[in-house]
Amino acid sequence: MLAGIDYFIVIAYIVGILLLGYYFKRFVSSSEDYFLGGKSLPFWAIGMSIVVSDIGAMDFVGVSGQAYRYGISVGNFDWIGSVPAMLLAAFIFIPYFWKGGMYTIPEYLGKRYNSSVRTIASLTWIIFFAVDLGVLFWASAVLLNVLMGWPVWVSILITATVVGFYTYFGGITAVVMTDVVQLVIMFVGGLTLVFLALHAVGGWEELVDKISNMGPEYRQHFDLIQPSETKTPFPWTGILFGLTFVMANAYMIGNQAIVQRCLTAKNEWHAKASMIFGSALKMLIPILVLFPGLMAIIIHPGLEDGDRSLPMMIKSTLPPGLIGLMFSAFFAGLMSSVDSLLNSTATLFTKDIYEPYIKKGADDKHYLKVGKITTLVLLIIGILTSPISSKFPGIYVAIQTFLSYFQGPMFAILLLGIFWKRTTQWGGLSGLIIGIAFAIYLNTFKAQFFTIEDPFLYVSWWSFLVGFIVTVMVSFFTSPYSEDRLEGLVYKVTGGKNNNKQ
Amino acid sequence: MNNMDTIENREKLKTAQINNALGVFILFFGAVVIFAMLFADTFVQQMTDLVAGLVLCGIGGGMVLKSRKTIKALKMND
Repeated sequence: MLAGIDYFIVIAYIVGILLLGYYFKRFVSSSEDYFLGGKSLPFWAIGMSIVVSDIGAMDFVGVSGQAYRYGISVGNFDWIGSVPAMLLAAFIFIPYFWKGGMYTIPEYLGKRYNSSVRTIASLTWIIFFAVDLGVLFWASAVLLNVLMGWPVWVSILITATVVGFYTYFGGITAVVMTDVVQLVIMFVGGLTLVFLALHAVGGWEELVDKISNMGPEYRQHFDLIQPSETKTPFPWTGILFGLTFVMANAYMIGNQAIVQRCLTAKNEWHAKASMIFGSALKMLIPILVLFPGLMAIIIHPGLEDGDRSLPMMIKSTLPPGLIGLMFSAFFAGLMSSVDSLLNSTATLFTKDIYEPYIKKGADDKHYLKVGKITTLVLLIIGILTSPISSKFPGIYVAIQTFLSYFQGPMFAILLLGIFWKRTTQWGGLSGLIIGIAFAIYLNTFKAQFFTIEDPFLYVSWWSFLVGFIVTVMVSFFTSPYSEDRLEGLVYKVTGGKNNNKQ
Repeated sequence: MNNMDTIENREKLKTAQINNALGVFILFFGAVVIFAMLFADTFVQQMTDLVAGLVLCGIGGGMVLKSRKTIKALKMND
């Protein structure tokens, strides 16, 4: 259990975040303020927010646990599995989304292809986010129960109240700025933990030497690249094709919760710079979350559940005060994951479903109100559905795996849409639907196709490939839009008028 | 042109006000971590709290100072 001063810090953090959220209310007077922060946020805040929303508390604990079990190969997710994709997003995709004045990724797909593609993409994200919200509430509450000793329902209600309060009032500005505080706290606490733990094990060389001599199961702990026949979930083939080529790009380019942050930038330069700055910070994340897991092998050997390695390292290594600070970072990580889902789902619903299908042409105040009400409704759905996830122990993994399935086809049509002007609306629609259907098929019969237990990296690769091929084939047999229609939506297409001038 | 300047100034003021609020928040936490030195058992633990607290105070304090300077300059221009 925590000491009095640590409890004080965690409680002060929660109260402080509530006050900050209420303070940000003054910056929200239109739907653009609520969903895009008035397009006025600086790159450094957005970059920090991208990193924090990517690495929530569950990942914080999970990555340390995987480092404890499998070694440094899990770091691939933050290095090769993030940095190239973030740079690609910064230089190619984000400028188009920002210049086009988009609120959502499906909005781009709607302009590039047709309204059916927009609606399918938006509904897929909304359903995923809404289900994920309940699961996340429950998983967060269980984590808080283990770490802080709070009853599960108390944890759910505290998380929902705090996150709901600042997201409802402050919109995405509050979401981004609370992430900034979290990142600062996470870096200070995390680097201190690594420094003290490294000191305790006798330095890096000693750590490598001790772990390598612990037995055959630890021999590959310092191999960043694992052979294709490895028993770990990170074979190099899956890392390269599934993670680097598909999942990482799909996540950084096609995930509404990530891209929406870049769209809040004050200008195109800041939008690009936010992703580049985020990628630089991302390279440091494994130091904070992976190294403690490795050091726990020496300090706390023989843990049955590797996911306990980080909480145990915090409790055994950090002094009073910093323990509270790190647990505040955990709590902030939970809140960050939930606030991203709330705000992004409210944006998707208001802009892609409500505005075009339910009430067209209403005044801006009306859409602001709808966004806020959607946030509240989602919060209530999340609280009410959270106990359901407790009845399905594997649901958290299943939900995260589901994400990787539809992200592949969605990335395929985004990629072709922006780079190949010949891609047609029917090509995009068929690629999306058949790609998702193929991913579901592969997942249902995974035992027949794959030897590893959780082949999500391979499924995302193959569903991407099928989505890509179907889009290309159907596009060849259907009529493309004119260059004028594609101006500002496709790479280096400047429209017929400009071409005539040349 | 004047209109553009007004919009730009309003955005700068907003950023400075946000930074000020974040700075106060981080500064407060830095102070609490330094205060936690009183509860640490060993010299190493005390120094750890001190350094981490000072880093947080430095970041928070820097944000507060810079943003207040900007707010003051913008208000004087008005």
